[in-house]
Amino acid sequence: MVAKTRLAMTMAAKKKVLFLGAAGLIGPYLTPGLVGDYDLRLTDVKEHPDGIEVEHVDVTDYAQVLKAAQGMDAIMNFTVNRRDADLSFHVNTCGAWHVMRAAAKLGIRKVVHSGPQAVRFIYDHDFDVDQVPSRPSTGLYGTTKLLSAEICRAYARTHGIQIVNFLFNGLHDPPSGPIEGRDFPVMSVVWDDLIQACKQALELESVPGGYQEFNLHSHLGHEKYSLERAREILGFEPRPNMAEFYRRPVREVA
Amino acid sequence: MAAKKKVLFLGASGLIGPHLTPGLMDDYDLTLADVKDHPDGIDIDHVDVTDYAQVLKAAQGMDAIMNFTVVRNDPDLSFHVNTRGALHVMKAAAELDIGKVVHSGPESVRNHCDHDFDIDDMPFQPGPGYYMTTKMHSREICRIYARTYDIQTVCYLFNGLSAPPEAPVVGADFPPFTIVWPDLVQACKLALEIESVPDNYQEFNLHSHVGQGKFGLKRARRILGYEPIRNMAELYRRPTDA
Amino acid sequence: MRILLTGAASPLGRAITDELGEGHQLRLFDPEPIDADERHEVVTASLTDVAAVWSAMRDIDAVLHTGEPPAQLPADELARDQQLLDEATRGTHILCKAAVEAGVKRIVYGSSLDLFAPYPEDVYISEMWKPLPTPAMASMSRYLGELTCREFARDFHVSVTALRLGTLVREDEVAEQTPDLMWLDPRDAARAFAGALERDTSGSPVWSRRWALYHICSLPPNPKYLVSAAAGIGFEPQHNFAANWRSV
Repeated sequence: MVAKTRLAMTMAAKKKVLFLGAAGLIGPYLTPGLVGDYDLRLTDVKEHPDGIEVEHVDVTDYAQVLKAAQGMDAIMNFTVNRRDADLSFHVNTCGAWHVMRAAAKLGIRKVVHSGPQAVRFIYDHDFDVDQVPSRPSTGLYGTTKLLSAEICRAYARTHGIQIVNFLFNGLHDPPSGPIEGRDFPVMSVVWDDLIQACKQALELESVPGGYQEFNLHSHLGHEKYSLERAREILGFEPRPNMAEFYRRPVREVA
Repeated sequence: MAAKKKVLFLGASGLIGPHLTPGLMDDYDLTLADVKDHPDGIDIDHVDVTDYAQVLKAAQGMDAIMNFTVVRNDPDLSFHVNTRGALHVMKAAAELDIGKVVHSGPESVRNHCDHDFDIDDMPFQPGPGYYMTTKMHSREICRIYARTYDIQTVCYLFNGLSAPPEAPVVGADFPPFTIVWPDLVQACKLALEIESVPDNYQEFNLHSHVGQGKFGLKRARRILGYEPIRNMAELYRRPTDA
Repeated sequence: MRILLTGAASPLGRAITDELGEGHQLRLFDPEPIDADERHEVVTASLTDVAAVWSAMRDIDAVLHTGEPPAQLPADELARDQQLLDEATRGTHILCKAAVEAGVKRIVYGSSLDLFAPYPEDVYISEMWKPLPTPAMASMSRYLGELTCREFARDFHVSVTALRLGTLVREDEVAEQTPDLMWLDPRDAARAFAGALERDTSGSPVWSRRWALYHICSLPPNPKYLVSAAAGIGFEPQHNFAANWRSV
């Protein structure tokens, strides 16, 4: 399946993808893994930490979003504001609405959205947690991203836009070697797996129900936060299972 | 023609049992068991699930056990029947190498998720009431035994159970998360026939009314092949001129 | 009770003022100036003005948040929608946050039955049904406000009641018109707010009891939107547009 996807991607003209928030906490880690397969338009309101040129696009300004989305096949929205009482609404909620509005207007049929997971507070004591009602609470970040998800759902339903929403708890590099003395982190995804997931989302022909969200991670073993739906719908699989780095050495008893 | 599977039906005289027996008895060699008489005067074996020896004896020679026993409100009996009773059933199944158990209990999503949608898989959030807590224990017991002893265990969770309406209902929405008897009969057959279930244990919120976009049946469809015989929601249609 | 009423200048706000003005002390909050009875205080400010909302929350026992948009909105469609979104989401969050931090125990929010417009005619819509908001900002933003209020019920000891209101029209102003199943006379809407005001489950440790949701609509001969659950807050519509339905 992976080989077939790669071949298809190589032969067809590269999809044009508007990457909003490309200079943020996540964007710079994704770009290198996507730039070979997609014609990326990198945008943000701030400069790229690696000095790469990005276009200035402020998601709180619809005209800017619409202009940047012209000619695009897909939009990836990794913009976020976590703490500001005003900006969190303007960027996370209104920004998401601008993205969806532009996608609807321009006939763009694929959006990859992102946000925080909203299950850990409530379900850390349960298992096999997959598709559960999210519980974001009243914090600015959680609430504004919850609202953005509802906006995405409304647009998916009405305009047939296929939307994948990745929800995160933690994101980081894979460990450089085995780690002793502690358990692996709950629900955190390594960059390579997120790149893989973004490609799968961009290539997925149709998203069941028009909108799906996935609590994405790379560590299998707790059987707590399930990846069943991500496997089934996206073909996602952590490569490798990062939990393998956190094995307790068993010393042989003489 | 294969011999009929022998099924021990615990709780056969209760609130649910008598509605299931007629639909199952042609296809299964049922041993009806309970602590009280059958409301329709049918002969049943007296088996008290709180007594392991009785459960073990009744389960001899069985291919499957259906456990529809329950006590809802008594502070002692709810534990003895719901928790300990489930332990006895699974213990007997393990000891006698019975590979199939159908368990039952209350759902716990309505307390918390009446305000959500597309609900299928949900962690159990029972609250501390006797009925809910003890049935939570029973489910964990079933899960543990299923995993350890390879007992294929299907657990059905209910909110409401009823006969189908006899005629279209006007002026009311259909009840959320309610199953009608023919569908539960169908579901029991599916559970009894299925070769294996993922992780040896699966629970399903079962109902017969599709439409509100609230309580889903995706997993029941996918794993069991369950489908309401008729979408009961169609009996609650508002009359229009069209 | 001392009540903070938002959207007070709207027809719904005025109907609620008429309904509750005798028995309660009202603080009328709206970005439009209000020519009110001297019994009532008036605060002319936007929900997005944090300082004004905080100040308005002083000594308040209950918040009735109509959810009604400001009367003055930009003519430009985009700017109008942006403002509607901001008011409904950030404005609601500011309001609820100020309320819970001031110790307010009752919040009532006006949502909309319009969320169910995509459903076919032959289903009965109760509170169990999944809302299907479209991107039309007026109803989508109303729904987002409802979700925002609900999160406060989850996190805080506050009673939050959402009322999904039908389309507000006065019975005496639509005499010759073809009736709509979603019609609701503002006087009945006001009564629903009055009923919801009496609800206080803020002391419950179970969040789902702190939160409640009711559909509020008139009762035509063959209703689509069922309102029987709202009997729980004493709601019984008095204006059912009978003359309009008779002539259909």
